[in-house]
Amino acid sequence: MSSGAGREPVFPTRQSLGAMKSKLKGAQTGHDLLKRKSEALTKRFREITKRIDEAKRKMGRVMQIAAFSLAEVTYATGNDGIKYQITESVRQAKFRVRTRQENVSGVFLPQFESFQMEGSSEFGMTGLGKGGQQVARSRETYTRAVETLVELASLQTAFVILDEVIKVVNRRVNAIEHVIIPRTENTIKYINSELDELDREEFFRLKKVKNVKERAAAAEEAERQQRKRRESDKENQTDGADSGQGNESGGKNVLGDEGDEDLIF
Amino acid sequence: MEGMFYNVTGGYVEGIVRGYRNQLLTGQNYGNLTQCETIDDVKLQLGPSYGDYLASLPPNPSTSALADKTMDKLVAEFRYLQANATGSLAKFMEYLTYAYMIDNVALLITGTLHERDTRELLERCHPLGWFETMPVLCVATNIEELYNSVLIETPLAPYFKGSLSHQDLDELNIEIIRNTLYKNYLEDFYKFVNEEPGIAGTPTQEVMNEVLEFEADRRSINITLNSFGTELSKQDRKKLYPNFGRLHPEGTLMLSRADDAEGVRIAVDGVHDYRTMMDQTGMGGGSGLGNQSGGIGGDEGKSLEDLFYQKEMEISKIAFTYQFTHAVAYAWVKLKEQEIRNITWISECIAQSQKDRIGNYISVF
Repeated sequence: MSSGAGREPVFPTRQSLGAMKSKLKGAQTGHDLLKRKSEALTKRFREITKRIDEAKRKMGRVMQIAAFSLAEVTYATGNDGIKYQITESVRQAKFRVRTRQENVSGVFLPQFESFQMEGSSEFGMTGLGKGGQQVARSRETYTRAVETLVELASLQTAFVILDEVIKVVNRRVNAIEHVIIPRTENTIKYINSELDELDREEFFRLKKVKNVKERAAAAEEAERQQRKRRESDKENQTDGADSGQGNESGGKNVLGDEGDEDLIF
Repeated sequence: MEGMFYNVTGGYVEGIVRGYRNQLLTGQNYGNLTQCETIDDVKLQLGPSYGDYLASLPPNPSTSALADKTMDKLVAEFRYLQANATGSLAKFMEYLTYAYMIDNVALLITGTLHERDTRELLERCHPLGWFETMPVLCVATNIEELYNSVLIETPLAPYFKGSLSHQDLDELNIEIIRNTLYKNYLEDFYKFVNEEPGIAGTPTQEVMNEVLEFEADRRSINITLNSFGTELSKQDRKKLYPNFGRLHPEGTLMLSRADDAEGVRIAVDGVHDYRTMMDQTGMGGGSGLGNQSGGIGGDEGKSLEDLFYQKEMEISKIAFTYQFTHAVAYAWVKLKEQEIRNITWISECIAQSQKDRIGNYISVF
């Protein structure tokens, strides 16, 4: 018996053997399916990892440019108040994120999509006197930076979820492969051996019974023979009642026994 | 003739300003700054001219902290000049601060409109635009109160009067308010340098006219260019143009009708300086001109904004060639401001390791 596999607590009957066999078959099919699922997920996972790598690099570049464009704005407008003015004049988010779900072999991955609200910008007139163009350019750069961030966020979420799911699936695959299937096989082996044992016992019992029966039959046969012989003797006796030899032997048997009993007691 | 008695009142201040001017960073200094690897190096290079002001900075300070400290020096020096100025020069220096006051008031109005605690905004205000009644602005909790009881008390009240009502404060975009104020301020300043007895007829008038006309034109052109693609209507735009300057009135009229950069170019065609600038940026220029200006090189990558700053610096530099004039104070403030911007730019480039554009500063000395 392999370590830890054990077997299931079933009565070794032919019915449970059938159940176990179908269970084993189910487990094998499930194992194949899960293995394939895990492979599909892993493939996807690798793809996402590659894209995250790209997105992160891109983010690094874009954020650098964006931060620099902010420096340009500060240079052009000449004071820091501009940041406050911009943050204060915005009432509504223009750049929004919408989420939808993508199904990858039964796993729902959220996908973030960014889109821009219609209508002109809320702080379109900031820096009207000076630096307006820089502000507008900085705004565009940051929009692109946020787009990259949203893309990255979507990938990261997918990454985390897939990681979790792959772990679960792999655990299941391993559980089936190393626990359920051996245990079921053990159970089947056990049931088979038990059934064989029963068969042998049965066979032996039958043999014994047959033996007994044969002996009984032999005894009966002997008895019958004896009886037959005795009957033929009786016939002989009755045939020769007048002869003293027949009387003497018969009388001796019966009387002799009785006489012995008396002697013992 | 006007030079005869100038030094009686303004001689000391003018001397101080000229001394300050000599402290300004030169091309050599900027060359050294661009070679720096870290902000600490920048700090070290700035040591001779900024000295004490940078001493309290922690190692590797942020660029904004550095800029704040350099600004502190400008403010301290300005305050000193202001304290020593008398007569028309004192008034002249007050006018200089109004521009910053407008920015501060606009900031506080934005805060009040969004019902923020305006007290914390006071820290963000430009120190040069500080006026005594400014903290009172924070008392107002709604825009009507702000307009009726508080703004009236500020030095900017005349600029509000007649052009903005308290409904406007509520409804108009803060940028329009700011630019309206600025327009009124420029016109008032222009009137001041032309009519004030102590200034009219002196070199101050001559220099300041040039400076203010340039400033007015710059604002007109910028407003026009920046308003493309926004909801600012042409009528409203026209109201923001100052009513003087080299472009006024034909140029501004054409600017008010411009729909794109090409329209702006046609509008400024009459003034050689602006036409050259437009050609240099390649904005709306003809293809032949564009190629030529591209071939000159060195000006590539410069925006119109940069060219305006460049021009402003040149005017300011030339202002120092005049004697017996208040204009040097103005020119010095502008030069110093540009220097702070340059330092911020260079340190920003170093901090973000974007060395390829570090040469975009403007140095005139």
